[in-house]
Amino acid sequence: MTHSHHAISARSAGHLACERCGAVFPLSDEGQPCTRCGHKLRSRDMRSLQKVWAWWLVGVMCYIPANLEPMLRTRTLVHTSEDTIVAGAIALMHHGDYGVAVIILIASVGIPIAKFAAVAYLALSVRGVGKMSPGRRQHLYELVEYIGRWSMIDVFVVAILSALVQLNVAASISPGPAALTFALSVIFTMLAAQSFDSRLIWDTLGDDVQNDVPDADLQKKERP
Amino acid sequence: MSEPENTPDEILVESTGRSILERVSIVWLVPLGALLIALAIAWQHWRDRGALIEIIFEDAAGIRVSETELKFRDVTVGVVESVRLQDDMLHVAVGVRIDNRVVDYVDEDAVFWVVRPEVSARGVTGLDTVLSGVYLEGEWDSQPGTPQDSFEGRDTAPLLSPGQKGLEITLRGVGDEGITGDAPILYKGVEVGEIGPARIAEDGNTVLADAVIYAPYDRRITSTTRFWNTSGFSLSFGPNGASVDFATISSLLAGGITFDTAASGGFPAEDGDVFELYDTEEDARASLFARAEGPSIDMTLIFDTNVAGLRPDAPVELAGLKVGRITNLTGLVDPERFGDSQVRLLATMALQPERLGLSTEDDAQGLDVMQYLQQAVAGGMRARLTNASLLTGGLKVDLVTLEDAPAAELDMNGVPFPVFPTAPAELTDVAATAESVFNRVNNLPIEELLQSGIDFLNSATSLVSSEDVRGTPQDLRGLLGDIRGIVGSEKVQQVPDQLSTLMTELTGTASELNKTLAAINENELVAHLTSTIQTLDETAASAKTAIDGVPELLDQANAVVAKLNTIPVERLSDDLSGLIQATEALIDTPQARNLPTDMSAALSELALVLEELRNGGTVENVNRTLQSASNAADRIADASQELPALVGRVNGLVAKAQSLLGDYDGNSAVNRDVRTALRAVTEAARALDGLASTIERRPNSLILGR
Repeated sequence: MTHSHHAISARSAGHLACERCGAVFPLSDEGQPCTRCGHKLRSRDMRSLQKVWAWWLVGVMCYIPANLEPMLRTRTLVHTSEDTIVAGAIALMHHGDYGVAVIILIASVGIPIAKFAAVAYLALSVRGVGKMSPGRRQHLYELVEYIGRWSMIDVFVVAILSALVQLNVAASISPGPAALTFALSVIFTMLAAQSFDSRLIWDTLGDDVQNDVPDADLQKKERP
Repeated sequence: MSEPENTPDEILVESTGRSILERVSIVWLVPLGALLIALAIAWQHWRDRGALIEIIFEDAAGIRVSETELKFRDVTVGVVESVRLQDDMLHVAVGVRIDNRVVDYVDEDAVFWVVRPEVSARGVTGLDTVLSGVYLEGEWDSQPGTPQDSFEGRDTAPLLSPGQKGLEITLRGVGDEGITGDAPILYKGVEVGEIGPARIAEDGNTVLADAVIYAPYDRRITSTTRFWNTSGFSLSFGPNGASVDFATISSLLAGGITFDTAASGGFPAEDGDVFELYDTEEDARASLFARAEGPSIDMTLIFDTNVAGLRPDAPVELAGLKVGRITNLTGLVDPERFGDSQVRLLATMALQPERLGLSTEDDAQGLDVMQYLQQAVAGGMRARLTNASLLTGGLKVDLVTLEDAPAAELDMNGVPFPVFPTAPAELTDVAATAESVFNRVNNLPIEELLQSGIDFLNSATSLVSSEDVRGTPQDLRGLLGDIRGIVGSEKVQQVPDQLSTLMTELTGTASELNKTLAAINENELVAHLTSTIQTLDETAASAKTAIDGVPELLDQANAVVAKLNTIPVERLSDDLSGLIQATEALIDTPQARNLPTDMSAALSELALVLEELRNGGTVENVNRTLQSASNAADRIADASQELPALVGRVNGLVAKAQSLLGDYDGNSAVNRDVRTALRAVTEAARALDGLASTIERRPNSLILGR
């Protein structure tokens, strides 16, 4: 961490790199297509936070019905049951399957909520909220990105069960409306995490460095 | 470090220079779109939500929230949204969210019921609900109406399933068997209809059941159609042997109803018509020509006297007209009600108002009949047990109007039926009398009697043909001749004359006594006394002579009686018994078979004897003799009536003489003589008195000697 105090970003050095082919251009070329690959040059994605919040919002919106609507429709000869995620987990606990219940609870409730919280924290931390160091935040970001795909475990379970258990009259399992919304929620959360420009984490650090020495001038110049 | 100073300027310039469109990410459209979609879905959901109706059921067996569906023609048109108890805790309100498509049709004529699996004698229905659970079925017509939101649920499905056409009628059971509900209606073996569950009508007396006849069979139902119960099989004996016929299995199990339109000319039946259901085909066909008996009214009768002989089906009569019958009999012990623990007879009678001429057609409650009966009871009408049959001892109930009946009224609050007042039974115990008569007749020794008769006739034959009996008329004739001789003898004939002579003489004596007393008064005592005593002696002697004749007469009568006694009656009876024994012995012999001949012979001989008796004039002689005896007795009685007077006078004389003598010295010889004379006179008088009283008491003793 200590070495970051001495680091200089491309941006602070007056350069920008093409995000696709890595060619270096002066910062003044921002907005122009890359002369090598044609990608639009951007020093920072200024709308990254907007995208994060937008995807995050849709993810949350989808997560609400995913928990309220039934996830699984189980129809046996005599009985049709519809279970939401939490109710299903609780039912499993009642049957003694604590392990499975805990896995489902963690995968379907714990992780998504943690992701929402983490993405929201990361987005807010760019604005100076929070005291976590940039390195830890970078780790958090990578963790969110890595773990996101596993959130689909519930959807996979539903998909597999629905495909396997189709015994016509005797029993059948079909996905409920929550399966769709839950999958959407996961997708949108992953998009939110991907939309986050992790370089912004470090920019605040750079600002801190500049604030230590020359930033007083910068801020004075901005105000007028 | 100089470059960082430049960069902020660049950034600031560019960032401030961007338009709002450039600054806002296009990604925001995604949550916006999601929001719009969510709103659209919510709105559509709310719009398509349909109406919430409430159906009231007795219970919510098998109904599950958000699972139980409402079906119409097997299409799901709604789902149960709530099940809650009503505030009065008596019913369950099932909230059903019905589709918007059908809301307009669920109007006031919509009916709802619960479809459950049902296993009956006629088969299994609702089998699919065994696995899927119950569902609600609704039925409504295809005419949109004013939607309603509260309905009364039915317990059972309507007889006509949705979309089925048919004739809906009501059957009223008039027979004893009532109606077996949930049974098929057959016509020539084809199931053409169905009868619903039977119920008791509000009046409590008749059984009603709704029934349907499916189209197109309903055209067969007219006002002349008659329904009757079919038991499912029939057993008949005939010249071809016994035969058993079975109808359909389902009617065998659940019973069935069939009908026939026996007479033409009826008008077509309409929905809601009421038809009578008869027990048998015969009843049903007979009812076409006879007036229906109509429903009966049950009433309770409580008889204080528990008399054997009243049985179920005993008639209830009013003025000789059968107006009902006894349907049930039990004993009743109710100390609290009657104050004792006597067993009373509790009878239920079923009155048929039609027979009373009272109609119940228009008034199912039977109120008019009840009013009539109440008035009749107030007027003294009572139920009374009377003999129905003299021979069998059966009893019936008579509705009689008693003038002096104690006040009573028709107890309309009786449970279970109104209580009709009763009067004490009017029973002649004919049964016992007749029975004893029969017993006596039965116990009559007919055989012994005949035997005795045969014995008697045999004996009579022997007796009549015996010499002794043949001699009897002669003996009798001789006896009667003797009696006639006695009665006609001089002495007996002279008794009255002698008596009158005696009277005359006594009168003379009395006058002479008077003269004597006069002479005594004239102090010529002794001379007159002596002559008086002589006269007295003469008188006494004369009286004695007169009286002496009487014992003689009696002796003669005794002799007659003795002669009578000498007739060998005892020997005769000995002979008779001997004869009887002999004949009894003879009866066992084959000769007894000749009895008729003997009898006729005996009878002819008897006739001969009688003829002889008549020819011999014995009867006339006896009659004449008795007449003479009677005359004589009359004369003696006449004479004897004078005796008391004579005796009184003699007594008076003696008393006078005694008083006279008392004045003189008791020791003088004269006095002794006089006393002796007086005693003789007294004894004579006593003898006379005894004779007189004897004759007076029993004039015939003169003849019979006793």
